Amino acid sequence: MIGKGSLPVFIAGKLLKVVFTVWIVTTLIFFLIRLMPSNPIERYIQSLVVQYGMTYEESSARASALFAIDLEANLFSQYLDYLSGAIRLDFGTSFLSPGVPVTAIIAARLPWTLFTVGMGLLFAFALGIVLGALAAYRRDAWWEPVVSGTSSFLSAVPDFLIAIFLILLFGVFTWGGRGSIVPIFQLRGNYGPGVTPGWNWAFLRSVWGHGFVPILTYFFSQIGIWVLLMKGSTTSCLNSDYATIARARGLRPEKILRSYIGRNAMLPIATEFAMRLGFILGGSLIIEQLFVYQGLGLELLKATSNRDYPLMQAIFLVMTVAIVLSNLFAELLYGVLDPRIRQEGKGPHG
Amino acid sequence: MMSTVYGTDQENLLEIRNLSIRYRTRRGELRAVEDATLLVKPGESVAIIGESGSGKTTLISAIVRMLPLNARLATGTMRYRTAADSLVHLDTATEREMRPLRWKEIVMVFQASQSSFNPVSRIYTQFLDTARAHNPAARTSDVMDRSRKLLELVALDGEKVLHSFPHELSGGMKQRTLIALGLLLEPRLIILDEPTTALDLLTQKKILKILRSLRDQYRFGMVFVTHDLGIVSRLADRVVVMYAGSIVEDAPWEEFYQDPKHPYSQGLIRAVPKLTTAIEKLYSIPGTTPDLVEKIQGCPFAPRCPFRMEICTRENPPLLPVALGRSAACHLLKEDSSESTP
Amino acid sequence: MADTAVRLKTHNRLARSLRHVGDAITRDIVGAAGFGILFLIILMSVVGPYFFPLDTISDPDKLLMAPSADHFLGTDHLGRDIWAQVVSGGRELLVLAFLTAIVAVLLGIFLGSLAALVRGRFDAVMLFLADVWLTIPRFPLLVVLSGFFRLDAVALAIVLAILSWAGLFRTIRAEVLSLKKRDYVEAAFMLDMPIGYIIFREIIPNMAGFIAASFTLLMRAAIYAQVGLVFLGLLPLDQNWGVMINVAWNQGVIYNPDAISFLLAPTIVICLLILSLVWISRSLEELFNPSLRK
Repeated sequence: MIGKGSLPVFIAGKLLKVVFTVWIVTTLIFFLIRLMPSNPIERYIQSLVVQYGMTYEESSARASALFAIDLEANLFSQYLDYLSGAIRLDFGTSFLSPGVPVTAIIAARLPWTLFTVGMGLLFAFALGIVLGALAAYRRDAWWEPVVSGTSSFLSAVPDFLIAIFLILLFGVFTWGGRGSIVPIFQLRGNYGPGVTPGWNWAFLRSVWGHGFVPILTYFFSQIGIWVLLMKGSTTSCLNSDYATIARARGLRPEKILRSYIGRNAMLPIATEFAMRLGFILGGSLIIEQLFVYQGLGLELLKATSNRDYPLMQAIFLVMTVAIVLSNLFAELLYGVLDPRIRQEGKGPHG
Repeated sequence: MMSTVYGTDQENLLEIRNLSIRYRTRRGELRAVEDATLLVKPGESVAIIGESGSGKTTLISAIVRMLPLNARLATGTMRYRTAADSLVHLDTATEREMRPLRWKEIVMVFQASQSSFNPVSRIYTQFLDTARAHNPAARTSDVMDRSRKLLELVALDGEKVLHSFPHELSGGMKQRTLIALGLLLEPRLIILDEPTTALDLLTQKKILKILRSLRDQYRFGMVFVTHDLGIVSRLADRVVVMYAGSIVEDAPWEEFYQDPKHPYSQGLIRAVPKLTTAIEKLYSIPGTTPDLVEKIQGCPFAPRCPFRMEICTRENPPLLPVALGRSAACHLLKEDSSESTP
Repeated sequence: MADTAVRLKTHNRLARSLRHVGDAITRDIVGAAGFGILFLIILMSVVGPYFFPLDTISDPDKLLMAPSADHFLGTDHLGRDIWAQVVSGGRELLVLAFLTAIVAVLLGIFLGSLAALVRGRFDAVMLFLADVWLTIPRFPLLVVLSGFFRLDAVALAIVLAILSWAGLFRTIRAEVLSLKKRDYVEAAFMLDMPIGYIIFREIIPNMAGFIAASFTLLMRAAIYAQVGLVFLGLLPLDQNWGVMINVAWNQGVIYNPDAISFLLAPTIVICLLILSLVWISRSLEELFNPSLRK
């Protein structure tokens, strides 16, 4: 029977780990910035002194405003300030666009990345598990090696190379002289120049037109993994003793597939899906660069090349927190789906 | 003890005649079962013994037609007499025709394993699933009552087990639950593959005791595969010895134990000083079993046989009667019996 | 018959795994194709540059030319032969990927077996750190790091290796824990053999396949990261397929059908290289884990 006390303890343990992980990453970033031999704050102060002829005091005052760090205080109290800022989601203001809070920039970029990578993941997951399950059920079918082979190919090829192929196929090749499938201008940016953002048709259509090939890229770069994972999971359930015995018990094939194989095969897949949700934010740097898609990844790249440290550290932290939270979600989901974990109060890797 | 005699008018529950089973492998066809004949009467219990890879499991899986995909029935017939007294040809039955037979008439309990039950649903669901598969109108409360009683028969706390998840039961409890589930539809033939391996000695004993008393109570026929002569002595009326895919001896247990006829059987009995020792450790018979992919010339046991004669490497001896109710496949015995019978 | 059985037992484990590898290559078409492609790419990168030297000077008469008899993959935006660049662009990539994989595997084996053999608090802490580490997104971290340091190729290889410690640590730890339960390892423990001896004589030979498979996957990850960073312009390398893609992309070659091989050639070679590594690792994994076989 389920121990009533174990579930809250289980969740509390997981939450503690989440907090700890986020704290470690936050700390890591702080010390990277503060303690590195050529630390960015020092460098920034120097550049202000050299370029604008400010005094060191002025420069350092400006730097502390930018970084939300009081440079006069000792390192430990600086660290505490930084931590308390991070807890309040206050990461200071951007270097490049002075006065604009980092959080505002992230809030503006985040939906675009969520939209494209998320759509790609969703479609890839939906089609991938169907194809994977079919490939496992029909191991003898002629098309099974085609599906598995293509999946293994797609899962191996780096996503940015897939993007290049797709740009060629959709935006460059003129199929029978009728022009490319997607107009070239739609392969850059988030939406066309003539539309006003908001809930209007022109804007939504433009967003879809610009997002189509990036979404397709994410779709193709992920579908292979899902097919292979689902095929493997289903195959091992098909070969399991409980499936064999269910057949020996005279159960109908549909019933076996649904209640015995389907449920068990989806267990690790659902968990994996929950885990991959977290990688939505961090998995898009090169693709967004290729499509000049104004999302979180491109923003991180821009911040890096411009040495916009407050922005960099905040985006990186957001990306990490997304993964930490999705891991938590995956573990809880696994606990809900699998009675074995539910009772032992252990994670899948415990 | 029930005496079993070939060729009587008593009707057989199961008749397997001249069955051969082949596996497609990368190296060619593997002859897993070769020309096997096995008859089981209602209420009789038959033990199949032999080394690993001798075709025991393949033979019994064929009865419920649950062989691996790469297996095919090459020759022979399998007939089963149902409770309604009609003959079913198991060897030609389609999957659709097999389904109603499985578990309702013939129960196949695969090797004792830790994962016989769907890990994500409670035990009672799996009892209900089974009952509904054969009778969609089955009432939940009836099935639950019966399941509870059966579980108590195998010395388990019915209510508690029904509401447990499989992982909450120990290995022995799972095996007993599976046996209880096997009795749910009152089958007439129960097939067990290694019913007690992977269980500790105490649990083994308990399960054997339960199986014995259930058999006496319900009078089902039983075919089981084992490595353990101890189990044979406690449970079997008759013993069938398999070697390299062929049945080499078929005899009532008492007579077999006193006087094994086939040289391989003699080796088995001699190699087991105590009834509790497993045959698997039987390396006192020198040599290894032959490669079943290659065509075997003559008797498959010949290379290891201490009494090998010239004819043994040329001709494979058929399974022939050697005494009342007994048969064996050996050239030595053929000559003996032809000399001894007037 | 009887003495065959005895002889089989005396075969040592290494010989057995070598024979397995041989068997697999002949039987497994995908694995063989992987090995074949990898061999050809290595051969091309080692020998090729002597036969097809890079054009050091640009030729304004031959900018972005289509493939021809002289330049069978055409020329780049400075009129240099593309085939020669493809031939020379792999050596650095391969060497660095190899370096990354070696350092990472050694690190993983060391930490993983140490944690599994020592157990106790050390093991618990390492396991927890690995869990935490795995939640840090690797590629964005590389991008951020490149903002703090000027990474060169070798430094990147080492950093990549260090970044990959957690995944390998966990799998090797689990693997060693299961190996520890086997008789011969237990025996070595009871005989009080030094831990180093146990790791190298008992554990590593038994994990050869697994290590080889991880090795190829690490190489794949290293190639991805290198090409990716080079493509983003965050890594100063000079002759490398990633650089070619970067330059070709920035020159807008993608919209110039004549010169498309400037972009496509390195892309396809990278695809082939990564595919061959994945195929090799899959076949090695299958070889040492019979349950995966069909």
